[in-house]
Amino acid sequence: MQSTPDGCKFSFEKDLANTQPLTASSQTRLAKVMELMAANPEASCILAVYRQKVIGIATRSDLMRVIAAQADWPKLRLSKVITRPVMTVSATEPKTLTSLLQQLEQHRISHLPVVDGQGNLLGLIEQNRLMQKLLHQHQQYRSPLQHQRTQQLAEITLKIRQSLHLKDILQTTVDEVKRLLDADRVLIYQIFPDGTGKTTREAVASPYASILDIAFPEEVFPEDYQALYAKGRVRPVADVHQLESGLSDCLVEFMDELQVQSKLIVPIVQPMNPSVGETSLSKQLWGLLIAHHCRNPRQWSDFELDLMQHLAGQISLALSQGQLLEYLEDRVELRTAELTESNLALQREIKERQLVEAALRQSEAQLRLITNNLPVLIAYVDSNQCYQFNNQVYEHWLGESPQTISGKSMKRVMGKAHYEKVKDHIVAALAGEAVSYESELTFQGGRSHSVSVTYIPHIEPHSRPHKEVSKKNNRNSKRKSKPQVKGFFALTTDISDRIAIERMKDEFIAVVSHELRTPLTSIHTSLKLLATGRLGELSDDGQQMLEVADENTDRLVRLVNNVLDLQRIDSGEVTMDTYACDTAKLLDQAAEAMQTLAQQHKIDLQTQAVSLSVWVDPDYIIRVLTNLIGNAIKFSSSGHSVRLTVEPYLPHAAPSSKSNSKQALFCVQDYGQGIPSHKLAVIFERFKQLDSSDSREKGGTGLGLTICRKIVEQHGGSIWAESHPGQGSRFYFTVPLSRAQA
Amino acid sequence: MPSKRVLIIDDEVSIQKVVTISLKMEADWSVMAASSGKEGVQLAESHRPDVILLDVMMPGIDGIATYEALQENPVTQSIPVVLLTAKTRTAEKQLFQKLGVAGVITKPFPPLALASEIAKLVHWSL
Repeated sequence: MQSTPDGCKFSFEKDLANTQPLTASSQTRLAKVMELMAANPEASCILAVYRQKVIGIATRSDLMRVIAAQADWPKLRLSKVITRPVMTVSATEPKTLTSLLQQLEQHRISHLPVVDGQGNLLGLIEQNRLMQKLLHQHQQYRSPLQHQRTQQLAEITLKIRQSLHLKDILQTTVDEVKRLLDADRVLIYQIFPDGTGKTTREAVASPYASILDIAFPEEVFPEDYQALYAKGRVRPVADVHQLESGLSDCLVEFMDELQVQSKLIVPIVQPMNPSVGETSLSKQLWGLLIAHHCRNPRQWSDFELDLMQHLAGQISLALSQGQLLEYLEDRVELRTAELTESNLALQREIKERQLVEAALRQSEAQLRLITNNLPVLIAYVDSNQCYQFNNQVYEHWLGESPQTISGKSMKRVMGKAHYEKVKDHIVAALAGEAVSYESELTFQGGRSHSVSVTYIPHIEPHSRPHKEVSKKNNRNSKRKSKPQVKGFFALTTDISDRIAIERMKDEFIAVVSHELRTPLTSIHTSLKLLATGRLGELSDDGQQMLEVADENTDRLVRLVNNVLDLQRIDSGEVTMDTYACDTAKLLDQAAEAMQTLAQQHKIDLQTQAVSLSVWVDPDYIIRVLTNLIGNAIKFSSSGHSVRLTVEPYLPHAAPSSKSNSKQALFCVQDYGQGIPSHKLAVIFERFKQLDSSDSREKGGTGLGLTICRKIVEQHGGSIWAESHPGQGSRFYFTVPLSRAQA
Repeated sequence: MPSKRVLIIDDEVSIQKVVTISLKMEADWSVMAASSGKEGVQLAESHRPDVILLDVMMPGIDGIATYEALQENPVTQSIPVVLLTAKTRTAEKQLFQKLGVAGVITKPFPPLALASEIAKLVHWSL
């Protein structure tokens, strides 16, 4: 130990300096730095070093500020936070504790790294530790008064540091300064950004007046003074009335009002608000710590100056911490509000989802109720031909529950033999085609049922073809334009009953055709023979009765024939014997066949035919023509004409034609009463004559037009009528031209 | 044309009667009638008619079996047979044609044109 002027000697290594300060490379990420800080709770700072040289320093507060302000702080490097250059102290140069403390306070720093002659880091002097040391030395070397004061200073410092609340810190400071210095009034004068200020904290001895919350006139504290204080000026005034105190008259007057004899002013400066983002070096004048002595003038000692400065420094620190705290609290509040809001939003979303799910569940339950109670097998099959859904009917009919079928392939569920029969339909459905077919299905118990099966493809709605123009991509675009089939719905209806009924109907009609026709033949023939009169003359009344019986037997024969014909066409039993025929000849044959009837009704049959080759069964087409001509004659007044035409036709104008190839258009036109528009659409349906009385009056059966429609449709043509009441009607039908002509 | 002799084989007596009168009136043909296939074959063998009208639907031996019996008999096999039927099914008609009959007449037939219809089928001129 060496003797120093003030008798304080120290050794950096042993006593004062922390020889193992926390260090890191300046490139260390803050995430790592904060881990180090957390592992060393005692460390108040971290040093950035390079090859044992200190290049920067970051205090815990510095780090906290960055963490609070930057969301991406863990990625930042220590170099972004450190203050540099760093003031250091050489271990080889002798220093007193006081000079070290002065150096710290002068530069407003709290840490001083110790380096050797080469500038290598040896240790770190911290302000707290230095002060403890000073206190200890004062206890050893100073007078009892000084010792007491030093101890008090340390006590105040500790007291101040105990609270984080600025209000408490300020009040403690004024109270303690007043007590320690035995001052009459100690106040904290806060300066606002507009240059005005007021006393915000005060400790005042009786009988002196409180100046709390009194606004000082601006002249009392002009701007240039503020600038001086901002730079750290300390102003001890022993006697306000002395000329050398240099106070203006108005200020002296003001002092007199407050009974101030002597005063000591130290500035309280603070770093800029961190949230504003200014650097930590720019400082501003926050206020003043002022001690008044009112009893008499007073010479302020160095210690008192030191004390005031030190406490102003503590306030400054507290201010910056308070600000940081406030800022952090604001952030926490903001973040809490954000979290609360997002929490509420989340809860709302959860509730909405729950409602949607409940609605879905309900809708699914309804759907299940419907699908399970329809007497139809309903299934959904995916693109791998595996069942994804089956209704409960599968269990009732086939004895296999939907649960056991689900996920299994159709082949496995149907059995290989049945699968092979329907495989083509499945493939077609998965190619996007709606398929219907009839098949046999073995129900549980082994009974075979006739079923009608429909596959409805499930096509992805967004799989529209991409419009690619490039020739290069033609192949690709073709592949893309294929519809994406996700699977298909399979509906299977048991049609055994329908098939059985159809069979019964067929049998019934077969029986009727024999059992009804045989007696009808006898009646019909007998009446015809009687009507010739060659079997004996009848009275006039007898002859009339005979004619009535004869006409109605004719009608009955036609009706029975038509019923049977319709049934035969409906059942698909009739196969058209089609070959190339000439339209003009067909029209002539039909006209010739109807000539007798036309003459009976005094109707002129006019024919205008183009010779075209059509692909038809001539017997059936003549039957259609004679039926239409017969109707036209019956519904025309005597003396009128009926026009028959045939011409080439392009079918796009036909209301219900399905074919696009060229056709021949036949037309039978009359000039009779016409057909009301609402009847036009239904006259081709069974028993839909204009009214039932027409049927009796004109001797029709109500089936003629229906048979015509069936025949034309069997040829791939269409039939329709156009009419204006009072202006007659036109009946059109089309048939395909033979291949050579089409 | 000399008067023709016709054999009608039909279980319906009313049909026998109207056919008899119709053919007599229209063409002055003489008609003999049988009510069953068996009786018909016997009459055909004993009287050798010029044409046989044969009903298809008959109890016991039906029209088809009767036709086969007529064809097997060397005495009757050359007599032309015209089937009378109420059946309208195309398939049945085609089946009858294949048997080698002279023709098929569907009931109810045109009463005043029955003779001319038969003549057409067996290629007689009236």
